[in-house]
Amino acid sequence: MTESLVQLEVAGKQPGRVSRGAERAVRRIGRSVVGIAQQTGGILVLLGKIVRRFFPPDIDYYELKRNLHKMGNRSLPIIALTSVFVGAIMVVQASAYVQQFSATAFVGWGAGYVILRELGPILIALMFSGRVGANNTAELGTMVVTEQIDGLRSLAIDPISYLIVPRFLGMITMLFVLTVFGNLVALCGAALFGQLTLGIEWRVFFHGITELLKPWDVYVGLIKSLVFGLIIALSSCYFGLAVRGGAPGVGRAVNASVVASAVGIFVSDYFMTFLLD
Amino acid sequence: MSVEAGVVKAGQGGQPGWAARRLAGIGAGALDNARAARLLYSIFIRTLYYSVRGRREKGAVLRACYGIGNRSLFFLTAVMGFVGMIMVFHSCTQINRITGDLHLVGATYIQLVVRDFAASVGSMMLATRVGAGIAAEIGSMVVTDQVDALRMCAAEPVDYLIVPRFKASVVMTTVLLVWAMFVMEVSGMLTAWGMFNVNPRIFWNLSMVDFRDLATGLTKCLAFGAAIPIVSGYCGLTTFGGAEGVGWATTRAVVWSCFATILLNFIISTTALYVFWA
Repeated sequence: MTESLVQLEVAGKQPGRVSRGAERAVRRIGRSVVGIAQQTGGILVLLGKIVRRFFPPDIDYYELKRNLHKMGNRSLPIIALTSVFVGAIMVVQASAYVQQFSATAFVGWGAGYVILRELGPILIALMFSGRVGANNTAELGTMVVTEQIDGLRSLAIDPISYLIVPRFLGMITMLFVLTVFGNLVALCGAALFGQLTLGIEWRVFFHGITELLKPWDVYVGLIKSLVFGLIIALSSCYFGLAVRGGAPGVGRAVNASVVASAVGIFVSDYFMTFLLD
Repeated sequence: MSVEAGVVKAGQGGQPGWAARRLAGIGAGALDNARAARLLYSIFIRTLYYSVRGRREKGAVLRACYGIGNRSLFFLTAVMGFVGMIMVFHSCTQINRITGDLHLVGATYIQLVVRDFAASVGSMMLATRVGAGIAAEIGSMVVTDQVDALRMCAAEPVDYLIVPRFKASVVMTTVLLVWAMFVMEVSGMLTAWGMFNVNPRIFWNLSMVDFRDLATGLTKCLAFGAAIPIVSGYCGLTTFGGAEGVGWATTRAVVWSCFATILLNFIISTTALYVFWA
């Protein structure tokens, strides 16, 4: 609709009045602004639809259970692997400074602070968005392209409460649980590697965490993981449902959903870092 | 043989028992992984071979450069700007809590950015964007039988599809990550200036960056740039099962390229620690 209006206007104009390049640039800016507004609006409308299904609760519990297993349990190995290496990298990066100032007592505090507050939630959310969010977009997109969603509707099954709400709940719950688990694994990886490279005792390492960190540091990371889960769930469901144009459209939607989740994660992390300090 | 028979007998009516099924599952998983590792290695070697000896198509590398580099520029700039702000905000608040001396924040931050953070965080962003793109492109060519058509024309798919992306990615990842270093430093400097009153001239202190940091950082850029197209190209070439398969291939590409960058980061950081600092 908007595009055809723009084309009409452009066609009515006399050629040569505005230079081609400038016209094209303005049109491109306008189109991307309209696109972003459309996406934001679509995501908010989807959120509204999802929230309405909770009053009274209208959720397919079998689908919910299946999604929890698929999103959570089957992501455990990759999350554990990533977390071990993230913890180890933290200690490797710190070790040059630690050896310089021989500040072995602070390694636990430093690694714990960074992992619990920032790196753990962000990296686990990025992996989760790559594994679960992208797959979710592809699955929903394929369903849209093969008209399975219309099929559900024609059977009087509400696609939102049957497909979207279980995925939405599953992603938020499981990202939270996986972040708790991943934080633990990352701290153990850091402790293990601290002992191997710097010779820091486990006791000293965990003493640094328990003495110098407050419970709030843990809670901040967990609140962040809830918000990241919300962002990943909304963007992956929205882009999945908004697929147009057959199989290539599914590929584009997956790409758009992963990119939108990553930008959303970092931008919201920036604001939460301020608000939750 | 006798062990196998015992395990079979443990089940009922000649059906394999749970132990046999478990063992079979583990064995199948191990075989799958070994096969995947061999294929990945073979694609890597073939990519290197055809990078030197392959045919040269005019403009293919440039087109891939544009797709990988220019089109990721805005995304990478936005994300790395926010990462820089978050990092400086955290370090300044923590230092204010302990010593309150913000003189060396800039120097240490720039050293860390050059040595690790620009490359590691930036390459994960590129892995999601570039890796997903490569796997989706090659995967949809595989499910529509275009890759088989290439093979029928005696054109090696690795030479045709992966090599241009490989060359482009090595160049553009390095360029983009150096740009990311710059963006992170500027955004960090502005945060320190605006929120903690650190003078930009004091913040922009390059005295702690030496050859060792630069070498580590640039090695990471090159390694990540090489790993992303190989891993996602492998995921794309092994696509099966129609449109849904392309979705799965994209997912695997994102996850395994991210994991590859983390693993390589760990290996390079540890090596650098022992070579330069130990």
